[in-house]
This record gives sequence, C-alpha cells and structure tokens, in this order.
Amino acid sequence: MTYDIAQDQLLVVSNLTVKHRTATSATTILNDVSLNLQRGEVLGLIGESGAGKSTLGNAILGLLSADFERTSGTIRFEEMALDRIDKQQWASIRGRRIAAIFQDHTASLDPLMAIGRQLEEAILATNDKTLRHEARDIAVDLLVRVGIPDARERYHSYPHQFSGGQRQRIVIAIALAGAPDIIIADEPTSALDATVQKQILALLRELVEETGVSIILVTHDMGVISDVTDRVVVMRHGEVIEQGVTSTLLDRPQNAYTLELLAAVPRLRLSGADVKIRRASDTIGPAVQDSGAPSREVPILVAQGITKVFAVSGLGWLRNGTRKSALREVSVELARGAITGIVGESGSGKSTIGRIIAGLETANAGKLGIDGRQFEISCPGRRSGLLGEVQMIFQDPALSLNPRMSIGDTLSESIRFGSRHAHDPKRDVLSMIGRLRLARTLLARYPHQLSGGQKQRVCIARALLAGPRIIVADEPTSALDVSVQAEIVTLLKEIVTEQGISMLFISHDLALVQELCSSIYIFKDGRVEDAGPSRFIFGHSQNPYTRSLIDARPRRFTH
Amino acid sequence: MMTTIAGRLSQAFLLLLVMSVIGFAGIHSVGNPVYNIVNIETATAEDIRNATIALGLDQPLWRQYLLFMGNVVTGNFGKSYIYHLPAFGLIMSKLPATFELATTAMLIAAPCGTLLGLLAGRRQGGMLDRAILKTSVFALSIPSFWLSMMLILVGAIAMGWFPPGGRGATLSLLGQEWSFLTLDGLRHLALPAMALAIPKVALIARLARAGTIEVESQDFIRFCRAKGLSPRRILFRHTLPNISIPIVTIVGMQFGGMLAFAVVVETIFAWPGVGKLLIDSIQLLDRPVVMATLTFVAVAFVALNALVDLLYAVLDPRVRRSA
Repeated sequence: MTYDIAQDQLLVVSNLTVKHRTATSATTILNDVSLNLQRGEVLGLIGESGAGKSTLGNAILGLLSADFERTSGTIRFEEMALDRIDKQQWASIRGRRIAAIFQDHTASLDPLMAIGRQLEEAILATNDKTLRHEARDIAVDLLVRVGIPDARERYHSYPHQFSGGQRQRIVIAIALAGAPDIIIADEPTSALDATVQKQILALLRELVEETGVSIILVTHDMGVISDVTDRVVVMRHGEVIEQGVTSTLLDRPQNAYTLELLAAVPRLRLSGADVKIRRASDTIGPAVQDSGAPSREVPILVAQGITKVFAVSGLGWLRNGTRKSALREVSVELARGAITGIVGESGSGKSTIGRIIAGLETANAGKLGIDGRQFEISCPGRRSGLLGEVQMIFQDPALSLNPRMSIGDTLSESIRFGSRHAHDPKRDVLSMIGRLRLARTLLARYPHQLSGGQKQRVCIARALLAGPRIIVADEPTSALDVSVQAEIVTLLKEIVTEQGISMLFISHDLALVQELCSSIYIFKDGRVEDAGPSRFIFGHSQNPYTRSLIDARPRRFTH
Repeated sequence: MMTTIAGRLSQAFLLLLVMSVIGFAGIHSVGNPVYNIVNIETATAEDIRNATIALGLDQPLWRQYLLFMGNVVTGNFGKSYIYHLPAFGLIMSKLPATFELATTAMLIAAPCGTLLGLLAGRRQGGMLDRAILKTSVFALSIPSFWLSMMLILVGAIAMGWFPPGGRGATLSLLGQEWSFLTLDGLRHLALPAMALAIPKVALIARLARAGTIEVESQDFIRFCRAKGLSPRRILFRHTLPNISIPIVTIVGMQFGGMLAFAVVVETIFAWPGVGKLLIDSIQLLDRPVVMATLTFVAVAFVALNALVDLLYAVLDPRVRRSA
C-alpha cells in the first residue's frame, strides 16, 4: 500500500519493515507497515501484544535500541526523512517536534527529582531562547493547563506525592513542553483507573482541539479507540490489517480479525430486559445464578468487620511511623456455588480482602467463617487453616508460576500439598488438564514456553487440584489479550457450574463482573460503597460512585 | 522517630557487648601477655608472679571481664601493658593519621569509581566497558602488599615523585597533628592513599556499572531522551542520583573498614595509624589497647551506618517523612 503524500500529511510511514536481531536469528517485528498522520488528528493504533505497535512508536521517535534494524521503508516527517537523519538532527526533533507519553506514569518520571524541575529541564532543552526564570512560569502554566491543582505550591513535590492520574498529567505537561507537532502516546491510560482514564483521554482530546497537535495513540483497548480517535489502524503480528475512520471501522469492520477483537470486548448491559448474546462464543447465560443448588441461600463464606492496617514502608530507621488503613470494617458474604464480584479502583482494598480470604495476608480485626467454621485470620499462612480451603488465581500468570519448575511438577506439587487426599496424583493431573483443554505435552514444558492464555489455564488447574471449596480470582484476565480474556472467562464460568466451587472474582472491569457475577460488592477507599445482586447494581443502584463507574465505560460498548 | 532511635541505640549496645565478650575471650586464648612484659631471659618465677598479680591476670577470666567492663562504664579502658599510657588516649593519638589517610583514599575512590561505572554502564558491552570490567577484576584481586610495593617501586624509587613512607611534616589543628595541611605531608599521603583507593575504585566502579545498566533500562530514562535532554544531562542529573543509594552504602562500609583494617598499607608505608596499632597490640597481647581499638571500630561502624541512613533521606525523597 502506498499513499499519496498530500500537503496536510504530517507524518507518512511507507512500507516500513523492522527486524529484531539476536546473535542467532532475526525476527520480523514490523512487516511492510504504511500509515499516515494528518495535522490535528488522533490516530489510534490497536493490536494485541506482539502486534509491533510499540516498536512502530519507538521507530518514529528514533528510540529503537541497537538490536532493532530497519530493513526497508521510510518514515517522512514534513520534509524530513526520519530514517536518515543523524543524532544532531534528532536533537532538534525529539521533544520539540515529536514528543512521547509512556504507559507507566510511575516509571516515566525520575523519582528523585521534583516534578517542577523535570518540567523545567524539558522546557529549557526544547526552547533555545527561554531563560531559567521564564521556564519556571511556563512550567507552572503548563501544570495548570493539564489540571494540576495548586501547581505553584506543588512545584517542588516529588512524583510519589501525586496520584497516578496526576502523574500522567505531569507527563503530558512535559510532552507539551516543546510545543510538539506530534505526541506519540503509548498506552497512556492502561495503568489508570477507569474514571481517571476517562479524564486523561478527555484532556488529550482538548489539547488536540486547542493546540492542533496530532496524537498517535497506541493501545490494546477498543474502548479508548472508540472514545477519542479520529482514525484507527489495526495491527497484528507486525502488519497493518485494516485502517480507516474510527466510527466506520468499528461499525463495519472489513477484516475477520478486527471483528474478532470487537466481539471480544466485554459489554455492559444497562437495560435489564434487553438480553442479547454479547459474545460470539457466549452460550452460557449472563451469570450462573440459575444453576443453583437448594442450599444456595446460606452463604459459604461470611467475613465480618475485616480491618487491615499497613505500616507505610520506607528505608532504614527513618521509616515513618504513619499507618494506612487498607480495609475498615468490611463485611462480605460469598454465595455458594456462584461467583461473587468485587469491583473497585486501585487502592480500594479489593485485592487485600481477597488475600485475607485466601490466608495470604493477616487481618488486624474481624471474623471469617466458612460453612460455620471460624478461621484465625490474624495468623499468617498455614496456621490460619485457610490455605487448603481457599485457592488463589493471580493477575499475571507469568509471574505466578515458578519459571524453573515444569508444568507437570507445578501441578503435582499442588496435589501433594493441597487439602485433598489423592489416590493417583498423576491421573488427577491428566484429567484436570484434559478438562481445561490443555495438551498433555505441556506437562514437560516450562512456563516461558507457554502462551499467556495457557499459563493462566495452568494457574487455574493448579488452584483446582489443591481441592479448594473457594477460589479467589484477583484480576485473572487483566494481563491477557482481549481474545484470550474471553476464553478464560468462559472457562471460569464452566468451573463454577460444573464443579460447584464458589468463587470470589476481583476486577476493575464492570462489564466482566456483570457477565460473571450474581452479586457484586463495590469497594472504595477500604469500605464497601455499594452492594447487591448484579441486576440491582446495574439497573437500579442510586449510589453516585457506582453511577460514576458505569458512566466511565466507553459508550459504544454499553447497551 | 524516637522509638526507632532508641531501637538503634539498644542494638548498638548489644553489638558492643557481644563484641567485647568475643574480643576478650579471643585475646585471652592467644597467650599470656606476661611473657611479653617481663624479660624472659632474666625473670625469676617470683618476677613473673608479681607481674601477673600487678596486671590482675591472676583472677579468673570472668572476674577479669567484669572488672574490665566496670572500668569501661566509667570511660576507662585501662593502661597499655606496653606503653603504660591510657589505651583510649593511645588510639586517639593515632586516629588523625588514619582518618586523613582513609578520607583521602575515599575522596579518590568514590568519584573515580562512580564515573568509571557510569561510563561503562552507559555503553554496556563497548570497548570502555570491557576494559573497565577486566581492569577491575585485576585491581580487586591483587594483594594489597604487592600493590603497595609496586607503588613504592614506581612512584618513589624509580620516579622519585613521592617519598616511600612516613607521615612527613605535620601541622597542628584542633590539638591534633595533620599531614594534609602541609605540602610535604600531602606528598607522603599520596602513595598510601592510592594503595588503599585502587581496589575501592574497582569495587565502586562495578557497583555503579550494575546500577547504571539497571537504571538506564527504566522508562524514565527513555522518557528523558524523548523529551529532548542531552545524553550528558541524563547521565549526571538522572542516572547518577538514582544509582547513588547502593554506592553511598558501600562507601560508608568501606570507609569504616579503612579506619580499622588498613593494616597492610599502614605497615608498608610506615604510616602510624590505628590499623598498625591494632596489629602491634595483638602481637604483644596488649589487651587494653586491643579492646579499646575494637570498641572504637564497632562504634565507628554504628555511627557510619546511621550516617548512611541519614544520607538515604537526603538522596531519596521517598524515604523522607511526609510532613
């Protein structure tokens, strides 16, 4: 594909091929990629992990590391060929003409330098004529522009003294320092809570309208694409699959893969009567509440008045004595043979309650009973007696499997140390991986040889093999690509219906929770903010916080 | 804050107690100091018994220890068996020499090591990196007596730039004699300071290199490049502060080590420091001096540790108390 270079094309990438070289092999990361960016537009770049979208962003910024090599194609910015300019010319482009925003707002800022100074040095580096004392005023103006309250007072504060959303605003201010023509935003909101994400995206959109800057927005999230982009480029395995105007492409995707990506996005249903199939793969109902056994009325788990206080950690003896409440007298009930959801933003205490129920964390106060039996939640680990009863599935399967143990060893270890008496552990492992649709050949392999979805299946198998009555799943799909997410969600539903296990599902994603859970708790600042059956929460809850979470969802994916 | 300080102090106290028991039992098991004090050739059994009683060595060991501790509480480490001077005063008279030597060595080692490490880490796998890595292995593994003798051979004998030993002319400041205040004294300092500094340069360079590689792989360095900063500014204003915490830690510990255990270098360069005093006293079984030196070393390490912790707070805003 080749595009005519029209006058208003700011950036034109033509037939770009980039290879990643190691000592022994070369992998094609980008294959014949062509796209263009117009002045004042937001171009979305969407794809799953391994699509090459971040590499493309780095190539445009000239920040590819030495092991990447451009084998063909050109990147043209106005009249300049970015693939051919030298270091000196890059200095006049980076920060001044093309700026960047990265995903992790915590890692993007130097933790040891006050934010005002970081902004100031960006201003001084990108504006030759600016004097030091002027830079300071400009910096304050920029901070005010991106919505940092009390910018002048907080000028000398350090990154850790700001919230995640504020840090990302500061990063945006730094990107704006050189008044660039293009901002490359690599997953700028993926590490943020839904409500904050919405504000940051709105800010980016405003900046485009105000300053005429163009933005390349790299993301894996269809919601982000639908909310802010003008045009969208779909990438897969280093190739451009499809591109076009956002609304057209989302309404009438031409390519099967785009269709698949769209179908895999969990959708929120707000009109109760409107029951439609939300996923191509989805034949089980919206929740498993209709498969109930007679004893469903009595909850399997009752937690009352759980309180958890953390000492704020620091280095050495200057550690400050302040303590932070993660949970304040939280009470939760888990329905038998069903999935109970906990929704909240980061810092709401939703993971802490999960870890306490799984016996991985102690609580300072409160009672926990499973089927009437009380557990010692102030004791750590095995002594609490919880480890056999409750198993856990974590967010990132890559981090929760021992990289030096084969899958077979990991699974049989779970049987040996689980609460269940096994006659034939080997047969149990084989039947379990069969049930989870994993190949037998995986047993001899190691975690790094598995895909993300396979790894999460292994984690689920590991949890089940220990013979728990309750499974706590903490954001089990957040680290996975959307297409894989759907598989895991289906699998979790099957487990609950077929094996009668009760599950606590912790997530920040309302649509997922709606799809899976019969009842829902909404957590905020260590307290239960709202609770009730799924239908009530989404249909009738008047709680303003619940409403704000629902409103933060992209409109396109809400019915 | 007060409780952490109290905790720190009680830890330090326990450390000193344990150290004193080990030191006391250790020096007792090495031999009987009486034979170093009386003239073995001519002394009669009577002389030896009198000397033993005079030093209090006729008492059982536990009572000797309690007597010693009783004196320490009143600030008295006893008199040296050999010099007949108060043991603690003896150390204090040697301290300026050791202190200025260790400080000079660290003033060479810390900046050189950090700079070399930064440069090596920035261009990982490059020519400079490989050269620094290989040289550092060499510098870390050569014995210090050989290094000292080579420095004397080259710097003093072959070239005649520096004197081969001694402290040279000194000047009095704050009631102590210091070499660094005179040109002659500085020339005398040069070789022993280099002999102490070279292995430390290698150690710090390796640490700084590892830190640089880790820090430069982080997103904020990539973001600094994207916002248009020059490589030099990134290296010194962003990478350097971020690798400084492990470096400060190792500098503190190494400095403590040099105060007490620069024995080989002090001996070869005839530098009258604490290390040399300690070794001499152990050889002569001069228990009061050994005990006083060990106590001083332990206190110095505790103080340095506290200083390092304070520096953490200066360097890293995340450690500071939130007001």
